[in-house]
Amino acid sequence: MTAPPRGTLTLESNDGRKIVVDRDVAERSVLIKHMMEDIGEQAEDQAIPIPNVNEAVLNKVLEWCAHHKADPQTTNDDDSDSRKKTTDIEEWDQKFMQVDQEMLFEIILASNYLDIKALLDVGCKTVANMIKGKSPEEIRKTFNIQNDFTPEEEDQIRRENEWAEE
Amino acid sequence: MPISMPPAPNKDDLIATWNFLQAGVEKIMTNLKDGVDMATYMGIYTAVHNFCTSQKAVTSSQGGIIGGSAHRGAHLLGEDLYQNLKAYLKSHLDELYERSKGHVDEALLSYYIREWDRYTTAAKYTNHLFRYLNRHWVRREIDEGKKDIFDVYILHLVQWKDVFFEKVHKSVMDAVLKMVEKQRNGETIEQSQIKSIVDSFVSLGLDETDSTKSTLDVYRWHFEKPFLDATKEYYQNESKQFVAENSVVEYMKKAETRLDEEKARVGLYLHQDIMQGLMKTCLLVLVTDHTALMRDEFQALLDNDRQDDLARMYRLLSRIVDGLEPLRTKFEAHVRKSGLAAVEKVAVEGDSMEPKTYVDALLEVHTQYSKLVENAFAGESEFVRSLDNACKEFVNRNKVCKTGSTRSPELLAKYTDVLLKKGAKSAEEADLEASLIDVMTVFKYIEDKDVFQKFYSRMLAKRLVHSSSASEDAETSMIGKLKEACGFEYTNKLQRMFQDIQISTDLNAQYKDFQAKVLSPEELKAAVDPSYHILGTGFWPLSPPNTNFIPPQEIVSTYTRFQSFYFDKHSGRKLTWLWQLSKGEIKVNYVKNTKIPFTFLVSTYQMAILLLFNDSDTIAYEAIQEATALSAEHLDPSLSVFVKAKVLIPSPETGKPEPGTTYSLNYNFKNKKVKVNLNITVKSEAKQEVEDTHKTIEEDRKLLIQSAIVRIMKSRKRMKHVMLIQETINQIKSRFTPKVPDIKKCIDQLIEKEYLERLEDNDELGYLA
Repeated sequence: MTAPPRGTLTLESNDGRKIVVDRDVAERSVLIKHMMEDIGEQAEDQAIPIPNVNEAVLNKVLEWCAHHKADPQTTNDDDSDSRKKTTDIEEWDQKFMQVDQEMLFEIILASNYLDIKALLDVGCKTVANMIKGKSPEEIRKTFNIQNDFTPEEEDQIRRENEWAEE
Repeated sequence: MPISMPPAPNKDDLIATWNFLQAGVEKIMTNLKDGVDMATYMGIYTAVHNFCTSQKAVTSSQGGIIGGSAHRGAHLLGEDLYQNLKAYLKSHLDELYERSKGHVDEALLSYYIREWDRYTTAAKYTNHLFRYLNRHWVRREIDEGKKDIFDVYILHLVQWKDVFFEKVHKSVMDAVLKMVEKQRNGETIEQSQIKSIVDSFVSLGLDETDSTKSTLDVYRWHFEKPFLDATKEYYQNESKQFVAENSVVEYMKKAETRLDEEKARVGLYLHQDIMQGLMKTCLLVLVTDHTALMRDEFQALLDNDRQDDLARMYRLLSRIVDGLEPLRTKFEAHVRKSGLAAVEKVAVEGDSMEPKTYVDALLEVHTQYSKLVENAFAGESEFVRSLDNACKEFVNRNKVCKTGSTRSPELLAKYTDVLLKKGAKSAEEADLEASLIDVMTVFKYIEDKDVFQKFYSRMLAKRLVHSSSASEDAETSMIGKLKEACGFEYTNKLQRMFQDIQISTDLNAQYKDFQAKVLSPEELKAAVDPSYHILGTGFWPLSPPNTNFIPPQEIVSTYTRFQSFYFDKHSGRKLTWLWQLSKGEIKVNYVKNTKIPFTFLVSTYQMAILLLFNDSDTIAYEAIQEATALSAEHLDPSLSVFVKAKVLIPSPETGKPEPGTTYSLNYNFKNKKVKVNLNITVKSEAKQEVEDTHKTIEEDRKLLIQSAIVRIMKSRKRMKHVMLIQETINQIKSRFTPKVPDIKKCIDQLIEKEYLERLEDNDELGYLA
């Protein structure tokens, strides 16, 4: 393969597609960042295999990374900050997440795999917002889940969770 | 690829997954130098990820999701991988240990360092590759409070410590200590090796309660402790042998060099943490264990003024607890002895000793030892205090002061007078100032500051009245210094004396104007040209003349005119003429064989005598006495001066000034100078003055003590006898050190005068308003 331009990396999705992307965009993924630290010199003339993600999802993830490339890197330690406690999502991200459910879950899985914490958070918050304010029946409908509780089990759960009702 | 990777495993198959991972970890651990290709790197990461997220694992534990089981929420997979990795590390490290047995000393160090570097580099890689495990399973375990689960990197360190380090640290440390001993013996060593060992030991210090933090425990226990023990033993042996074969001076040099070396060693390859302990150990065996030896040498060094060696001893002993105190005691005794010896040397001159000789002797000792304190003892305040104590002793109690401590302030005041009088040798302003600073140095140590004040004010009075001050600036500067040292009250009168002189100058100018107005030009021409000093009674240490005196007719109109002028200005004041201090000039017209008439400088008494000869060339002693009304003690010395200067010729020729002697004017008087000073103080007069001064000091002290007692009692109302004496001493010790019997005497006097009363409890006194 030909060497990608300076400051860029080539990623290879699991369906064999090569995507050239700025290095600082790709390094929003802690996995890629660490790999570059460890054996980065090989990436100058080879594509980086991403065995768990297909082209469509990878493109989507990289789109997010490109938009957020200037964000401060979050460390593991600031998990406890207020950002985590709220389900607020900034406008661009909301739009970004307006995809079908399957794609949404793929993005969540990919960000978990690639270790992009901020994107994982956005994905999970989006799902949380889909659940918020809905009855169990509505939730089942939203996510196409079959009710496998017996009536007795349902009763018990309701009693245990009375405190959470208004 | 030197080691080929097995095929990517099925995510649900633990055995296949682990086989795959082990091959990858092994490759990183043992063969990283050949590189890891990206496919392998990503493969390993992905295998860990896939295994931890495998669906099978989730379903296998799904049974308990809801019904009250310990785990609410997803059960995380990973323990199997973690335990397998741990087991792999153990077997790897066991193997390392087996191989280490083939190495000793420096080879063992090289082996340890090489393996450590390789192992920790691999750990960093593996930690990245197992990040998914760290992020989820390990994290959860730690959050749940498990103390024996660590991040993968930490796991590497823990395993290194538990499996390998525990078995080899002793031999590694032995090798380190051997190298350090070699270096202490002067050989060159590969010190970077020791630095690497230190770093490794430090890295192994993991906080048991929080693995993200590190402690120095491992390093302290396994490195510092043996290192310090070895250091102690080494220097114990070395110093013991060295002092047996060398002088103390040489030993101190050695000890100082060793201390510097050890300090430098910390910077070169040890951990900063060891500094305190290392210095403590070295000081103990190099200094503390040899203090007795050094202290014994101190006197000899002082005697020979070995400043460098003294400085070295100071530096060494200042670093240990209580190291210097014995030196200070010896130093103080030594300075006192030197001071007393110096005074003894000049004291042989007896009463003829110049004040300067005495003060110089005191200063020389002080200067010598204050320089020593500065140079050898770093100007340390406690040594300064010892110096001060010693100086205070020998300044106030020495051979010259045998008869009483008032000798020192008296001589010092006299020396100051010599400095400030016209005609003093140090004409340069700067030299004079320096000498005054020296005076203050001695003054600081004088206990009887009131005595100095008395003598000083008398001599100042003379300088002012006779206009014999060398420099007004110097006088002001001196008073300023005294004020700074003793306060406003101490110099108040001195300052008032200055003011009086200033006011008198103005007054004389006014009087000249007045005279010009009231006198006709002829009268003015014929009149005496006068100058007056008006001195406030309370401020000047002067008393009215102690003899009757009839002023010569020639000046009567002059001074009465001034009197009326003055009373006009200040009605109700009283003027007392201090004839004994007054003086004048007389132009002499009777002498033959001279073109220019002589001018005699005379005292007023002398003037009165000489003017009598205007009427008669020969006058009898009795006639002079009658005409002047002077008592013999003033008349006789004046006449003696005239006879000695051959102004008057007595008859009989050897006649003493007494009734029966007559005096004739010497028409053949000769002198090289046109102005002849006949106003000379006779020695006995000066001596008399000193005695007077001492007498007034005793009286003033009594008053000072009494006023202090009254002041104290006024505020306290009642007080124990002992307490009162103590308080009185405190109040006046800045002036002089009062004697207890004197205070008791004063208390008794105050009781007699009914200022105080004894209360029933005989021990207590009360104040009577």
